[in-house]
Amino acid sequence: MANAVLMPKAGITVESCIIGKWNKKVGDKVAMGDILFSYETDKASFECESTAEGELLEIFYGDGEEVPCLVNVCAVGEKGEDCSALRPDGSAAPAAPADSAPAAAPQPAAAVAPAAPAVDGAPVSPRARKLADRAGVDASRAAGTGPNGRVIERDIRQLMKDSLTAQLQPVKEELAAAIAPAVESMEVAFEDVAFTGIRKVIAKSMTTSLQSMAQLTQHFSFNAAAIQSYRKLVKGIEEYAGITLGDIVLYAVSRTLPNHPDLNANMVGEDTLRRFKHVNLGVAVDTPRGLMVPTIFGADQKSLLEISREVKSLAEQARSGKISPDLLSGGTFTVTNLGSTGVEMFTPVINPPQTGILGVCGITQRVASGKDGALSVYPAMGLSLSFDHRAVDGAPAARFMQELCKNLEQFTALLAK
Amino acid sequence: MPKSLYVDPVELRAPATIHFDDIPVNAYNRTVSDERAKYGDEALVRIWRDITILREFESMLNLIKTQGVYNGIETTYPGPAHLSLGQEAAAVGQSYLLTRNDFNFGSHRSHSEILAKSLSCIEKLTDQELMDVMENFLGGKTLRAVEKLGQVKDAKELAVRFIVYGALSEIFARENGFHKGMGGSMHAFFLPFGVYPNNAIVGGSAGIAAGAALFKKCNGKNGIVVCNIGDGSLGRGPVWEAMNFSAMDQYHTLWEEGKNKGMPILFNIFNNSYGMGGQTRGETMAYDMLARMGSGVSPTQLHAERVDGYNPLAVIDAMERKLELLRAGQGPVLLDTITYRLSGHSTSDQNAYRSKEEIEAWRAIDPIVTYRQALVEAGVASDSRFEEIMAETVERMTMICRHAADPAQSPYADFDRDPAFVERMMFSNERAETFGEGKPEALMPKEECPMYQKLKSKERAPVKDGKPVSKMKLFNLRDAISEVIFDRYYEDPTLISYGEDVRDWGGAFAIYRGMADAIPHSRLFNSPISESAIVGTAVGYGMCGGRAIVELMYADFIGCAGDEIFNQLSKWQAMSSGILKMPVVLRVSVGSKYGAQHSQDWTALCAHIPGLKVCFPATPWEAKGLMESALKGTDPVVFFESQRIYDVGEQFHEGGVPAERYEIPIGDVNVVRQGKDLTILTVGAVLYRAMDAAKELSEKYGLEAEVINLHSLVPLDYTKIVASVRKTGRVVLTSDACARGSFLKDVAQTVTELCFDDLDAPPVVVGAKNWITPPYEFDHYFFPQASWILDAIHQQILPLPGYMPGQSCTETETVRKAKLGV
Repeated sequence: MANAVLMPKAGITVESCIIGKWNKKVGDKVAMGDILFSYETDKASFECESTAEGELLEIFYGDGEEVPCLVNVCAVGEKGEDCSALRPDGSAAPAAPADSAPAAAPQPAAAVAPAAPAVDGAPVSPRARKLADRAGVDASRAAGTGPNGRVIERDIRQLMKDSLTAQLQPVKEELAAAIAPAVESMEVAFEDVAFTGIRKVIAKSMTTSLQSMAQLTQHFSFNAAAIQSYRKLVKGIEEYAGITLGDIVLYAVSRTLPNHPDLNANMVGEDTLRRFKHVNLGVAVDTPRGLMVPTIFGADQKSLLEISREVKSLAEQARSGKISPDLLSGGTFTVTNLGSTGVEMFTPVINPPQTGILGVCGITQRVASGKDGALSVYPAMGLSLSFDHRAVDGAPAARFMQELCKNLEQFTALLAK
Repeated sequence: MPKSLYVDPVELRAPATIHFDDIPVNAYNRTVSDERAKYGDEALVRIWRDITILREFESMLNLIKTQGVYNGIETTYPGPAHLSLGQEAAAVGQSYLLTRNDFNFGSHRSHSEILAKSLSCIEKLTDQELMDVMENFLGGKTLRAVEKLGQVKDAKELAVRFIVYGALSEIFARENGFHKGMGGSMHAFFLPFGVYPNNAIVGGSAGIAAGAALFKKCNGKNGIVVCNIGDGSLGRGPVWEAMNFSAMDQYHTLWEEGKNKGMPILFNIFNNSYGMGGQTRGETMAYDMLARMGSGVSPTQLHAERVDGYNPLAVIDAMERKLELLRAGQGPVLLDTITYRLSGHSTSDQNAYRSKEEIEAWRAIDPIVTYRQALVEAGVASDSRFEEIMAETVERMTMICRHAADPAQSPYADFDRDPAFVERMMFSNERAETFGEGKPEALMPKEECPMYQKLKSKERAPVKDGKPVSKMKLFNLRDAISEVIFDRYYEDPTLISYGEDVRDWGGAFAIYRGMADAIPHSRLFNSPISESAIVGTAVGYGMCGGRAIVELMYADFIGCAGDEIFNQLSKWQAMSSGILKMPVVLRVSVGSKYGAQHSQDWTALCAHIPGLKVCFPATPWEAKGLMESALKGTDPVVFFESQRIYDVGEQFHEGGVPAERYEIPIGDVNVVRQGKDLTILTVGAVLYRAMDAAKELSEKYGLEAEVINLHSLVPLDYTKIVASVRKTGRVVLTSDACARGSFLKDVAQTVTELCFDDLDAPPVVVGAKNWITPPYEFDHYFFPQASWILDAIHQQILPLPGYMPGQSCTETETVRKAKLGV
């Protein structure tokens, strides 16, 4: 008897997963434990091992398709076996019975008229339309040179070329001539890369974030001398050697946030703010698959050392794609650290439904005038807070930043609390 | 036209008279008492028993069709019931002496003949032979169903049940039927008893039966062939063609020793006086007495006589004498077997064309009454014995009817669970190096044949040492076809070939030129100008297990063999549920210079008919590989050839035509030229004009056309076509067939379906005009030219800078022409 392989439930909160790529194709021999396909939640990527052996009879969902958890993904059994009963839609027979077919719909009187023409009435060939979509040009701007003014493939290519040439207009004639061959090659010098599961999710989530919130960013800096000297101090102690400046910032955030509950919160719908008693700190991690944000649950309860160790572990898990989806959600506030890249300030995008995200920037040397009027140089670390103005006003947000900066400048005092 | 037969002007012009022998009419005059000693009482009674089984079978169907109930069993079926009610005695008489090696073919009204022939075989075979037959048939499936009817006293009774159940299940369209229900009432048969197909086309069996006789004659097989058709079929040309084909002089004058006997075929006409409702004698025919017709066919008058089919003993007597003639090689024979159908043509027949008195008069002499009476009066058996037999017959029939009508016992094929049930039967798709055993007969070794030596000496590529090879030395498309046929002659002893003028002339287009030196007459002969008989006999020959390749001189003559190609050649594999194979290649030549009735590409007609494979090679390389496949396959192939290109050498395949053997799978396509801008799909000789167009597109407009020749039309693998069109987005399809309804219109539609999103313009078909073919002087106004392809591209696909089209391909023009039907 044929057996189905189910889409695994990759975590308690996971409802569905996206198939990444099939390693097996219909007709392949499959043994228990063989990798059948990779799959992704919105946060992580996994591999599905076969729970049956035999021949791969039918694949019900292909690459890139979203499949609810615990639904049949494929059937494995003996060659030639009927596996139609395992089809997830329950359609044993593909065709609908004839008697259930609806009566022929009345044809509109104008059925003989051609289907909706392109803008301005110029018909566009299916091939031209497809190319225009891929190249991101507006087919209706193309001059149709096909029969009856039909916009055909070459017209779209011309359009693509024109838009490139337009950019080169200011360039002197002779230069333009020299560039002409380059235009030709530029025309085809691109490659379409279809988004994989996580990229798709990021794209969607980022757009939603910016479209649905009132985001704005405040930039602060603080004197990082205290944390730098603390870091220097602990570096010599083996157990603490792994603590980074970033870990220190995380610690400080976890201790500052409880005083600013509107930033340690989620927006529920348009008009409700859900404040959290504890700080679940999301930490943005750059992975080969794209951005991932694992969560340090109860960060406000954890020591600096604990936070430091947990961050390293979570980042490792995220980079290898083995992280549990449950660790990729539930954050109440996020910290994203681009400090090592030398960024001086940026506007991080909030991870909805959170109300704030703190961007950690690099350290620059700044000049300050002392009480005696003498100039001194100090290491200034930038902090950029994006917050949702629907939940938090500018002044309270600035107060959070002031307190955070103070805590960091007087870090040993904070540790003592 | 053989030189050995002298057409003597003196003899032909000398005065003389034609002499006819008297034709016996109902000459039999013996009584049961006279025959008792010869037959024995048991056999005489069994003849009556067989009549009752046939009668009860037909009565049962009559009740089922008219009242929906038989002996309390409520059932019906939608298919036909052309009953031979009243004609049973003639069928039993005919079959009495026939063996399983004798084949009978039937008509649409042949239930009785199937059963009678089977009952006769059952009587003659041993129990073991019968069990072997039943066990081996459809893997024993039918037998398993019959066994459920309960214990029987012997294998013969089991076989009687088997045959009645198998026939009835077939009529009821059940999977246990003789051919899984796919033939039904009018196409039923059972090969193990030599019962060959019935035929729903009136007279359809004539050519096929003649082909079966040809098979026996050419391959030295025992037995004779009986062609059972009705008096109405004498109005059909193909029946005359078949009789003449069977009686040709050449069998005696030209065929080699051992093969020079007459055809072992009996044309038996069950003459019930009606062709449906048209009365043959007195209304629709002119023969007065049907037996007269043999006199018009040959000096033997086909040994014709009229026999009383209402007396089974008279029929047996006639059969005894005719079998003797046939076995002695003096066939063919014509029998005018008088009978009468007591029921209508079909169950919906109201008998508006005949009087009650007439029916009653025949009912009064119904053999089931009169023959029984004669047996009782002669003391062969008592009345009670006949009552017992009748009761037994009814009881058996009732039991079998209940079983066959019950879907639980006799299920229908499950098309829902097995949607490909019929799909699998359409082609056998097998490969057979040979259909016979032994050494193929030939007059000399292959290598010694001058024609073969000449073929081998030709240059296989058009250029040698940088110089073009002269036309005479170049291996061309004609040679490619000849070479394969000749090779296959020396491999398959059953392979025969015939058609008009194929032997001495070598075929109008010289495919066979020179083969007569090596191939004996019986394997390569001239047929009469009888396209129906050419194809019909090939169908019969193939059906019996021989390989035939036959020729129609022009594709335009397909119409003359319409039924044989469209209903017979194409359908028997599937109607027999795959029991029959059809290893027949039908070569048809597409003309070019002889006007409207000799220049048509009718590939579309053949491609339209399910069950035919269709090829049209346009290069020697294609022709050789496809013919090799066709002559090794087991399916019917219509092999189109163009007279325009018999002389072309191989211009596209690297290295020319290989000397060694190879097969091109039927269904593949030939990518002749690679290109990225446009796809040109071609069928037939237009390939060369398309290549000219491709050249012009490249040289003048910088467009590279991919040219793909569709040498196979059915089956057709679209993979390469789709890949090309997806790449180029533009496609022109061209052939010499009239555009409307052409095969390429179908391809264009399919390509649109498969490549819609990649198309930059609709696929455009450039075909011949929808006119008659004008004289050759106007060829370029009628058939697609290279310039037409450019015209179509410019106006319908991709305007070419500076191009001036020669003819209009606008939408208005398309609409105008369609409106006028031209």
